[in-house]
Amino acid sequence: MLMEDKSLQSAPNVTVISEYAMPGKYKRLLLFVFACWKANLLGAMEFRLSFVLTAGMMLINNVVWIVFWGLYFRRFPVVNGWELTDVMMLWAVSAGGFGLMATLFGNSMRVASLIAGGQLDVYLAQPKPVLLHVLISRMSVSAIGDVAFALLVYVFFGNHSLSGLLKFGLALVIAALLFIFFTLIVNCLAFWLGNTEGLSFQLFNALLTFTTYPTGIFRGLGKLILYTVVPAGFISYLPIGLLRHLEPVFLLGAVGVTALLTAGGIALFYTGLRRYASGNRMGLRS
Amino acid sequence: MIALTKTLKYVCIGRITLRNQLAYVVDFLVRSLFLLLILYIFLQLWQTTFAGEGAASIAGYSFRQLMWYLIVTESMTLACPSLCTRLEEEVKSGDVAFKLVRPVNFIAFHYVEYMSEVAVRFCVNVILGGMLGLLVLGPPDDMTGFLWLPLTALGGFTLNFMLNMVVALSAFWVEETRGLEFVYNKFLFTVGGMLMPIELFPESLQRIVRWLPLQGIVYTPAKTAVAFEAVRLAGMLMAQAGWIVIFACVALLVYRRGVKKLNVNGG
Repeated sequence: MLMEDKSLQSAPNVTVISEYAMPGKYKRLLLFVFACWKANLLGAMEFRLSFVLTAGMMLINNVVWIVFWGLYFRRFPVVNGWELTDVMMLWAVSAGGFGLMATLFGNSMRVASLIAGGQLDVYLAQPKPVLLHVLISRMSVSAIGDVAFALLVYVFFGNHSLSGLLKFGLALVIAALLFIFFTLIVNCLAFWLGNTEGLSFQLFNALLTFTTYPTGIFRGLGKLILYTVVPAGFISYLPIGLLRHLEPVFLLGAVGVTALLTAGGIALFYTGLRRYASGNRMGLRS
Repeated sequence: MIALTKTLKYVCIGRITLRNQLAYVVDFLVRSLFLLLILYIFLQLWQTTFAGEGAASIAGYSFRQLMWYLIVTESMTLACPSLCTRLEEEVKSGDVAFKLVRPVNFIAFHYVEYMSEVAVRFCVNVILGGMLGLLVLGPPDDMTGFLWLPLTALGGFTLNFMLNMVVALSAFWVEETRGLEFVYNKFLFTVGGMLMPIELFPESLQRIVRWLPLQGIVYTPAKTAVAFEAVRLAGMLMAQAGWIVIFACVALLVYRRGVKKLNVNGG
């Protein structure tokens, strides 16, 4: 392989069009990811007013929920050990995790419709990892408002020490990964069941909804579901189990489940991809 | 013969529509499950809250009343289709041109379409929510208020349509209106009394909220259903009707101005 490459490089007028599996592969992949994100952002910024309005509206949308919880905790200051600050941080982690997913990996929520519509063809024909390429090819503009909201809530309610900042960063990473790969898994059902856009969206919606309520209100079967079928508990308990006091057992569980979903999601996508039938659609990426 | 052909034509359209719906029947049922999910979460939240307070009632609502209140508000909210999405698409695609040349009133056409969709969705939601309520909570203590629900809900949906229409018609100027709708909906959720009855708000906020049109949308029907007060009913219905008239006039005014500014692309 090396010999072949050397001979290619030394030959005049021959350009190496693919350097797959060659040194610097990961650096080039990273550059590709950043280039995609930059292109997405520039595309969104093309309509600057619309961009600011859309992101701003999402920020206001989240602030309204803060108002609800503010009213609630004014009337009932403590609910099963949860205080207003904890719920604020719950919103920061949940909105931030979702925001990171939808901003940087915006196609996660559209995988089912891409599969059902035979729109994966365009990614299969390109010399980049299919899953990564699919996920980063779209950016939700409104989700930038979610990320901004998460940072604002952290500024007002978070712990600003170095350890507090690191813990908040870790919480965001865990939440974002859980969102990405849970969403991917439920969207991959389309490989086997056909058009599951509705079902996939409802399961994703269930995760998103559960992550915005304190785990302290759930008991029995509800709590069991939160830590198994819809793993929202690993996000919504982060304000208590990581940010307020570090609970090693919970953190280990959260990291373990995140790793499991990440590996499972990737494996499921590529297993499903073998069953993928092209839609024979002519497509061109602009 | 002509009458028979016409009837057959509508039968065929009905059959095609039905077949379209049946193709996604699982999807359709799954979409309705969000109502049960959100009601389950509220059930847990208020159960914990009542247990923490150790009181039989909060702000005049028993646990059962509060949950039936939420069943009504959630069923109504989730029954409303997105008018902004519809109008935005019509303006962007240019389809609005076809609507404008039809010999029908633009707002009235959308009102009929909106209310027909609401009627089906609300019935499905009420059946689902009602079943959950009956199974988990048992029947409401007093059914008198529920007899007024069709009328108050009709008023609530109409008022919501008028307010939504005012927001949606801004598509004639700015095209992108979904962000505005998002914020409007969130105000409806909070100060509109969808997530909790207005009586749970601080006194100062309650005084402001009572002057807003939003309370006529879901608060009035839900409050009337679960905590019926005959003496307040007439006042609440009058307020609801008054807001409907005001916002119908505003919507008409906005439409008349907007339609002159409209620049249709495509079509």
